[in-house]
Amino acid sequence: MDRRKFLRGTAALGLGRGLVSGCSAGMAGGMFLSGAIDQAFAAPLQYNLKASLIAPGTYVVVGPTEYFSHENGGNIVNTAFVDTADGVVVIDTGPSLRYGNELRRLIKATLKKDIVRVYITHHHPDHFLGNQAFEASKIASLPKVIENIKSQGEAFVENMYRLEGDWMRGTQVVLPEVSLKSSEIIGGHPFEVLPLGGHTSADLAILDTKTGVLFTGDLAFLDRAPTTPHADLNVWHKSLNDLEKIKHEVLVPGHGQAEGGGRAIAQTRDYLKWLETMMRSSIDKGLDMTDIMATPIPKRFSNVTVLPGEMHRSVAHLYRKMEEDLLPLITKGGG
Amino acid sequence: MLKTPHLKLLSLSFAFSLFVMSFGMVNMATAASFERPADPLKSVMWNQMYDEFLDGGARKVVFDKNVVVKTMVNVEDQFHVPVTVDARGLKDVKEIVVFSDLNPIWHVLTYKPEEAEPYISFRFKVQQSTPIRAAVLTSDNVWHVGGVDLEAAGGGCTAPAMAHGLPDWTLRLAEVRAKIWRSIDNRETRLRVRVQHPMDTGLADGIPAFFIETLDIKSTEGRMFGRLQIQEPVSENPAFTLMPKLKSSDSSVVVDGRDIEGNNFRAVVPAPARSSQLGSVTTSSVR
Repeated sequence: MDRRKFLRGTAALGLGRGLVSGCSAGMAGGMFLSGAIDQAFAAPLQYNLKASLIAPGTYVVVGPTEYFSHENGGNIVNTAFVDTADGVVVIDTGPSLRYGNELRRLIKATLKKDIVRVYITHHHPDHFLGNQAFEASKIASLPKVIENIKSQGEAFVENMYRLEGDWMRGTQVVLPEVSLKSSEIIGGHPFEVLPLGGHTSADLAILDTKTGVLFTGDLAFLDRAPTTPHADLNVWHKSLNDLEKIKHEVLVPGHGQAEGGGRAIAQTRDYLKWLETMMRSSIDKGLDMTDIMATPIPKRFSNVTVLPGEMHRSVAHLYRKMEEDLLPLITKGGG
Repeated sequence: MLKTPHLKLLSLSFAFSLFVMSFGMVNMATAASFERPADPLKSVMWNQMYDEFLDGGARKVVFDKNVVVKTMVNVEDQFHVPVTVDARGLKDVKEIVVFSDLNPIWHVLTYKPEEAEPYISFRFKVQQSTPIRAAVLTSDNVWHVGGVDLEAAGGGCTAPAMAHGLPDWTLRLAEVRAKIWRSIDNRETRLRVRVQHPMDTGLADGIPAFFIETLDIKSTEGRMFGRLQIQEPVSENPAFTLMPKLKSSDSSVVVDGRDIEGNNFRAVVPAPARSSQLGSVTTSSVR
């Protein structure tokens, strides 16, 4: 049970603010309510992050392949960290201050070393809102990613409070202070900076050439439907082609399991191609958004999570531009 | 000197207005003969919506599953919420009124299908989570109501239109893109029309209201397929799907529009003779 449901429960019992103030109202409720609520009140919000070793000195914290909720607190994302001779390199910081703090403690407990670099792959809230837990002077990304965080970060924070509630407590936007211009060698690991895009207007992929681990951010998804709120599909396909040409041992997608073998890139490409073709042909047949959303998902995506919900969101993101392209011009505007 | 006649006039007009008021009240009391049905969506605004849009008791109101309102229940983009109202299950539809209880401007649009199916799809802006409803008036004077609750983030009505971020938005003002599809048996025609327009609500700082207020869909000889009265909440660059009943002799459809600053625009949309490329519409909302 999450905190919002718990509070609703206490309100129904007349244990709101008017009766007893703040926290003590909850305590009073906990004392004589059923065990479930008692437990819910006692349990602090915790992500219980776990690191899996996927390559020498390289750990991934794999999030469930879900949508943001009051249950998961925004932990739907992969973060990663790499052990180098000079300290730890982190890739993405998670969806909240609470996640960032837990990630930092997990890194400390696993490697007992200082963090020397944090890379942010792109400006979506699940990837950078843990920044507060890290030193801003160590956080680096592409100039355009930093610009995107600056212009859209606050709005993301507001929406994440709405979608997740108390998990977000205290979370604020922290901008990366290092603007990445070229690749860096850290503790004997040459980290290749790959400035790509398509999932958003700027997506950073990182290749650790020492271990052969490719961190793609949200340019690749695995067994979780790709998201498109800021997507440019043509640019995204170009980036996928570029990524495919890069020799690597293991690919860490933004969402889904890390593995070798190219499945994440192929599946992301296949899904995006299907989505676009399906939408364009539907518009050509005179169908509106609500009709297109009812399109069945092909069987080959049956083990891809968050469908059809993510497809519905994509229709909301992509329909208008496609319609503008496909509807014939009848009269020009202007004076 | 002039005071006395003035006072007389004043008292006369006062008496007259009292008379009018009491007459009005009596009139309302007799008219309010139908009972207000309980709202399945349990909206706090239902009583007010009932008085504002459904004649407050002067006409019978029923909640009716034949008024299908399809939308995306968990709103992804509060500036563009897709809605389809399909009342083809009802006969002799005079008018479709669409409103949303908790928007700062309740009225979204009114559609009067004449030679057209009672079917319309469009996009609109939401300011917060709210019911979206369609009330369909049939010729027997009954309002048939359908609707759903939307779950949304805030701000759709009070933010500036995207157009205001573009320096040359006026160059494309009232550009019309449109297409007509006919089913192979010629029994169904679908018109999709999109007009370039900022559709300013007047609620964004420093930007006055500026929106398309009417859109008439006619044949080239002037037969009226349907008339649309559009309000501020309809999305920027509004797009509609309508189902005009074309005769086989109709080779095009005329769209006549006007915005509140008096800009008129007209588009003549060619109608193909036959087409098999028409997808079937669905019957339910998605979450």
